[in-house]
Amino acid sequence: MNNRIALLGQPNSGKSTVFNALTGLRQHVGNWPGKTVEKKDGNYNWKDKSYTVTDLPGSYGLTGVSDEETITVDFIKNKNADLTIVLVDASQLERSLYMLSDFAFLNSPAILLLNMMDVAKLKNKEIDADKLSKKLGIPVLPFVAADGKQYDKLKDLIERELEKPHLLSTKPEKDNAKEKFAWIKGLLDGVTSSDVKDYQLSRFDRIITRPVIGKILTILIILLAFVVAMIFFIPFSIIGKCFPLLLGAPLTSLLSSFHVHSWLISIFSMLLPNVLYFSIAMAGFVFGVNVVFGYLEEVGFIARAAYQFDRLLSRLGLQGKAICPILMGFGCTIGGTSATRVMDNWGQRMLAMAVVWAVPCSAIWAIIPVIGSVFFSSGAVLLICIAILLYVFFMMWFVSKVFAKKLVNENSQSGMIMELPPYHKAHWKHIMKESSLKGFDIFKRAFRTVTIISLIFWALSYSPSGNVENSILYKVGMAIEPVTRIFGLGWQTFLAFLSAAFAKEAVLGVLNAAFVGQGSLLDATFNSKVIAVDSTALVTILRSAISPAEALAFMFACTFNIPCVMALGTTYKESHSLKWTLIISLFYVLSALILSSIIFHVASLFLH
Amino acid sequence: MKLKETDANVNLVIKKIDSEDGNLVKRLSSIGLIEGTEIQVVKNDKKMPVLIYSRETLLALNKKDAEKIEVEEV
Repeated sequence: MNNRIALLGQPNSGKSTVFNALTGLRQHVGNWPGKTVEKKDGNYNWKDKSYTVTDLPGSYGLTGVSDEETITVDFIKNKNADLTIVLVDASQLERSLYMLSDFAFLNSPAILLLNMMDVAKLKNKEIDADKLSKKLGIPVLPFVAADGKQYDKLKDLIERELEKPHLLSTKPEKDNAKEKFAWIKGLLDGVTSSDVKDYQLSRFDRIITRPVIGKILTILIILLAFVVAMIFFIPFSIIGKCFPLLLGAPLTSLLSSFHVHSWLISIFSMLLPNVLYFSIAMAGFVFGVNVVFGYLEEVGFIARAAYQFDRLLSRLGLQGKAICPILMGFGCTIGGTSATRVMDNWGQRMLAMAVVWAVPCSAIWAIIPVIGSVFFSSGAVLLICIAILLYVFFMMWFVSKVFAKKLVNENSQSGMIMELPPYHKAHWKHIMKESSLKGFDIFKRAFRTVTIISLIFWALSYSPSGNVENSILYKVGMAIEPVTRIFGLGWQTFLAFLSAAFAKEAVLGVLNAAFVGQGSLLDATFNSKVIAVDSTALVTILRSAISPAEALAFMFACTFNIPCVMALGTTYKESHSLKWTLIISLFYVLSALILSSIIFHVASLFLH
Repeated sequence: MKLKETDANVNLVIKKIDSEDGNLVKRLSSIGLIEGTEIQVVKNDKKMPVLIYSRETLLALNKKDAEKIEVEEV
């Protein structure tokens, strides 16, 4: 029979460190049935017995109405765990025992883990664990979750307790906060001394909490974090790129020698290696972002950043913590969406992802000036970039106006009550393990999603002769041009607009293929970075074929459309909600087309 | 006096939390702030959340919530 253990603890109690250390790579991440809350299970073996561990969703107590708290209470009430490990932060014992005071009303077997004994020691805090154990009636284990050597002791204790479980022998007199803290006070009497000295901010905290300098410093640190994430990403990207480069030609010649149909050849030699490349690169980026933000979160920086930007972001219905994903979004939307991991609850995360989509990623910032310079003077291009930046703020506001009420309920919208944890040393092993898991998970999902979408796009854009005009996409494009004209776009720019959703870098290649007719659309989309775009020819043709008004409309439409499919995939993966990913996608596509239409018709009045 | 209007580095005790907002009371109590709790205001700059220290924990509260907390000097 399996022994079922549950982990319970407040945020910052070190719960995920313990979960990862116990289960290692034997984890399963899914959803709680019917909920958008992430469910983490794992298992381990110890002395010929197997154990399953469930990481209960974190919150500060069990009396609230949030999904997380209901799930946790139901899980324990329905006796889904044979033993619950309640984690508390030993350095902030009085406050963090609140979780135990709530748990006491559930009458379920438990052990108490006094985590962060090392931090408590640094604060000169002594805790008499034996005395506390006698008062509570359950075992109390002093612990340092980051220290791998301490787990044997924990596993032994778990084994003993499953054979002969203990229930709490005491609980607060009444189920209200006042009685609970009175109960905690009674428990701690004679067990520990609480630190009554006045609190002094550390030197770094004094600087980082200053209104102006603090904000500048915070932004710089997050930008630096992005650079570091990119450094992690580079090796993945290089390895990934090898697949299409090295496999492409040999596979083509190999398959040709077997007289395989050219359709299949291009699937195996071009499409799949590229999908592999995309998936590896994407996994690498998610890995890098998770390492960097895992680090910043663990040392306690994220909480400071949230303090700085809370006022600004609360106007968007978001908490201060959303500053991280938003700034990351300027680099890469995938990074931004996975950086929403720092948000506390699902509604806030989903809203933050929707807002991050409005932030143009670095690929867009790379193509906009190129397209702009074809039609406008460099001064005008600068003005357009500024206009885009201003529209970013409008779009973020607009998105939050539309979605905040539906996604974030009043109670979590009403503001931030947040702990600024003391600075910790980061536990690299733990961060690396967690990030690898995330990266690998993304890789698996990305490979699946991108393969399917690529196949559809491939089928539509395939033309046996390599000429665009023979593809289904072209025929569809011609047929719908009367409609796309409403949005101010010709069929070629509309095509580029659509393929930009595949990869923003593809825009130039697709325009090239559609107008110049060199290379197939497929090549253009997948190998946009590899193929040299014949720029002089393109410029001449573009200028004659596209009016400045259409170009302007196109630039805005591309920038404020949905992000690339990889970012869509990440959003789905991180939010666990296909419904909301689709709703928000639809919102972006429609608003981009309406924007494009408005810009085209207004600009047509002035630009000729 | 409201927590929102306090100066840094004073020791206070919470007298009353506006109970109209039931959620606020719940959220505050789960993080250790109830009537009678002693707190130290660490920092209270304009247009920034209030930083307080209570039960060995450094906490940030936004101004909107800090307005609903009645405090008294000890």
